[in-house]
Amino acid sequence: MSFMDRFVSSWRDYRKAGYYEEFDYAWTMTIDLDVCTGCSACVTACQAENNIPIVGEKELGKGREMQWIRIERYWEGEYPNAKLKYIPMLCQHCDAAPCETVCPVTATYHNQDGLNTQIYNRCIGTRSCAVYCPYEVRYFNYYDHHWDTPLDQQLNPDVTVREKGVMEKCTFCIQRIRQAKDHAKDDGRRRVRDGEVQPACVQTCPTNALVFGDRKDPDSKVSKSMKNPRAYHVLEETNTLPSVVYLKKVNTDAG
Amino acid sequence: MSNIDRREFLRLVGVGGVGVGAGFMLAESIKHPVEHLIPYPVPPEEFSPGVATLYNSVCRMCPAGCGITVRTREGRAKKIEGNPLHPVNQGRLCALGQAGLQVLYNPDRLTAPMIQSAERGSEQFIQTTWDDGLSRVAQRLAQASDNGKNIVMLSEGVRGHLAELFEIFMARLGSGQLLHYDFAYPHSLRAANRKLFGIDQLPYYDIRHSSYLLSFGADYLNNWLSPVHYSLGFGDSRHGNDEFRGHFVQIEQKMSISGAAADEWVPARPGTEGILALGIAHQLLALDVYDGEDASDWRTALDAWSADTVAQKTGLPSSTIKHLASGFAGTERALAIGGGAAGNHSNSVDTLVAVNLLNYLIGNIGKPGGVVFNPDPAIGGATKNRQANFRSMQDLIESAGNGQIDVLVINNTNPAYTLPQSAGFKEALASIPTVVSLSSFVDETTAMADIILPSHTYLESWGDDTPEPGLGFSVASISQPVVSPLYNTRATGDILLGLASKLGFDEAIPWKSLEDYLKDRWRQIYERSPRDPGDFASFWRDVLRSGVWGENRRMQGPIVIDKQVIDDMGVAEPEFAGAADDYPFILQPYLSTAMYDGRGANLPWMQELPDPATGIVYGSWVEMNPVTAAKMGLVDGDLVRVTSEQGSIDAPLVIFPAIMPDVIAAPIGQGHDALGRYARNRGSNPIQLLAPKTDVSSGSLATCVTRVSVVATGRRRAPVKTGGETRQLGRNIVQSTGVGSGSAGHSAKLDSIPITVESI
Repeated sequence: MSFMDRFVSSWRDYRKAGYYEEFDYAWTMTIDLDVCTGCSACVTACQAENNIPIVGEKELGKGREMQWIRIERYWEGEYPNAKLKYIPMLCQHCDAAPCETVCPVTATYHNQDGLNTQIYNRCIGTRSCAVYCPYEVRYFNYYDHHWDTPLDQQLNPDVTVREKGVMEKCTFCIQRIRQAKDHAKDDGRRRVRDGEVQPACVQTCPTNALVFGDRKDPDSKVSKSMKNPRAYHVLEETNTLPSVVYLKKVNTDAG
Repeated sequence: MSNIDRREFLRLVGVGGVGVGAGFMLAESIKHPVEHLIPYPVPPEEFSPGVATLYNSVCRMCPAGCGITVRTREGRAKKIEGNPLHPVNQGRLCALGQAGLQVLYNPDRLTAPMIQSAERGSEQFIQTTWDDGLSRVAQRLAQASDNGKNIVMLSEGVRGHLAELFEIFMARLGSGQLLHYDFAYPHSLRAANRKLFGIDQLPYYDIRHSSYLLSFGADYLNNWLSPVHYSLGFGDSRHGNDEFRGHFVQIEQKMSISGAAADEWVPARPGTEGILALGIAHQLLALDVYDGEDASDWRTALDAWSADTVAQKTGLPSSTIKHLASGFAGTERALAIGGGAAGNHSNSVDTLVAVNLLNYLIGNIGKPGGVVFNPDPAIGGATKNRQANFRSMQDLIESAGNGQIDVLVINNTNPAYTLPQSAGFKEALASIPTVVSLSSFVDETTAMADIILPSHTYLESWGDDTPEPGLGFSVASISQPVVSPLYNTRATGDILLGLASKLGFDEAIPWKSLEDYLKDRWRQIYERSPRDPGDFASFWRDVLRSGVWGENRRMQGPIVIDKQVIDDMGVAEPEFAGAADDYPFILQPYLSTAMYDGRGANLPWMQELPDPATGIVYGSWVEMNPVTAAKMGLVDGDLVRVTSEQGSIDAPLVIFPAIMPDVIAAPIGQGHDALGRYARNRGSNPIQLLAPKTDVSSGSLATCVTRVSVVATGRRRAPVKTGGETRQLGRNIVQSTGVGSGSAGHSAKLDSIPITVESI
């Protein structure tokens, strides 16, 4: 077997949809755009949970924001028929993630739960992954960030503080997932119950627009939500197979 | 063998000794402090290292009164989440509520009692002890009280037993006036309920069970009364049930968060929302929706508000009015609410009466999906509604100017920022001999204080609360300290108790600490409901654990509307301040998502929270219709000067697609000249432009009646913005589908898209 054959065959294995299916979970989020109000509670929840730094006005002006979940806004039409549509955008945890294939040091990879994961101390900061990500949800630490004392006391000890030169992004609150798994194990259960683990954004969403769970469990809330006929993937044509499913906004305009 | 004699030997040893000594000293001084591999070799009793402890408490970031669960680790607060047991927010929390952590850990907090050492406003504070600070304040209070001079206690809106303690303290003090001042308190809504229903309270609006919501300006998803609760209701009404998908209509001049979420957005002329409501009421009667005994009285009273008249006044086509009326009448469980800009005009009480009338006519009062009145608050029943509207603040300023106020004690409210410049609050302070502040921060008002007795943040204090508006039944919540105090500060209640003890009020106010006082009061609550099993200690523990307590008490009785009220029904044309020729635009300042009435400006998370509609961070701006801007030759990012008869501010222009052509809107929150490093000298404060004009009958500040002019300064200052292109440009990122999505919707073939690798 030539090198090329070996390469293509392992590539095929790697890029096969659901290649991790023998594993336990496939974490998935659905976001109902008909209910999302753009209130941004998820943004602050994520900042608090994941030690996301305060970037400062100057850096924000250069487009170096760090919020792992952000609210995108799209206007349609003109006054008086203008419409404002919001969409929360976060790492889609694609099953066929373009970012994973380009990392020269495999700092980003797919774990056995279907999460797209970033290994901070393997990352050398080439930023290729951010270039390849069609959703633009990867954020780079241009500096070591600083918390004015005593703001550093609020830092979550369960999450690393990332340093300069490292790429970071939404983890689906992997620390909470791990904790839930540990609890399940302590209780002698093989699986985490539906609803037992929620990322910070889902937990706080005031309209219940966000639902999180394991899509391998057919009875989970998220599995049911995915069956909604309004379900779609953002930029479906790029064939990234995201783990984030959006539910279409309902348009009640006459005609 | 070298030849070292005794003397030589001693000299060498001496030098060496010095060297060793110096080396030891040097090593000591550059050595890192001792670090333990395990942070707590002997763990403290209150927590286990590595295990989170959760405390339930109450959010104080806005007046809604949500329950919070604070996650602490190793004695430090790490995250604020919604308390899942609390009926107001049911485990959810807004962005501002979660940023409460940065109030606690704010680097600009006051750390000890302070005395202004130079002139007021110079912020030259010197530190003092609590004993000294309390003695000074007590002495001034005693002096003023003995001489029969006036003492004014101006507090943020406090509720529950702390409010009662304020009452007791002021009553014992004798010559005093107690006022609560919150910029956004809905005075006009309260007055409207009093006028129409004869009930002086904020009722519960059951959005959750309503299937058709007509909102006249109320931004219920962002800042109106209880935004998290109404957001939950919105979500449930839209997709939380199998019966219906809630239909939402928003009537306003500038698209708010609620406007963007609505199915229909209707821009009526500013201040004509009440006229529109009467027009809809007229149509409802024509549709025979109302069959009460006084139906003919109503027909007579509303005869003048035909669709054509209303269309002419509101600038809406009469077909829209009929469409709204048939939608409202034709849907089971419709609900009308009013607030926001509609509640901030010269005619806002009548406007909100007209909105309430719609609820009355379709008969949803006291029903699911309707307006539900609240029983008396569960706790602190002896307290009165002390909320000061703009007129009472003007009275306060006037009597201060006349030298009638001797001591002003300010508790955590910031009128120097939230009152228009034209009100003259800062100038009036100069005529008050003693100004005391109990704030945790040097805000604009506290900067003018002589003595600061800094209070704990809400995460360090004991307290309790009863949400206003309630939920149609009796609810109270307890707040408890979640961390030990960071600094040498005290809880507001403890400051009052300290003053009381200095003043010798031991008989009326016998409690040693706020905790004692609260326990004493809750013991009375426990004793009045003996069904609770166990003793008080276990009851107290249970209440602390759940953070919330309730009684199944509801308001009963039918609503009857007075004939006089029916006959007087009507909404006047709105009045504006300033001539339309000189000031062509109507300014609508609005409470921003991140900063509410300005209190969020010192929280870095809130400064970095992009405004949902514009994406702007760290700054202020004014919003203008694109067509108007094009006519004036203005583009996005131009620095413009907004001028009213009262003053002017400079701010970057934002072209906003959903705002009426003759209205400009500006967020409240920035433009602080105090409040710490994150807030100070950033952006501008539109409140400063407002004319001192009130609603005619309630006396609350009409914030949306000031006319302004907008002039280009010739400079550009594009605000810092997150996000890129705001049009989809065919990318189809946010997709929509028609109603009855079962058939119309295209379902993504999730998990079944084949990946082609053959081409590699």
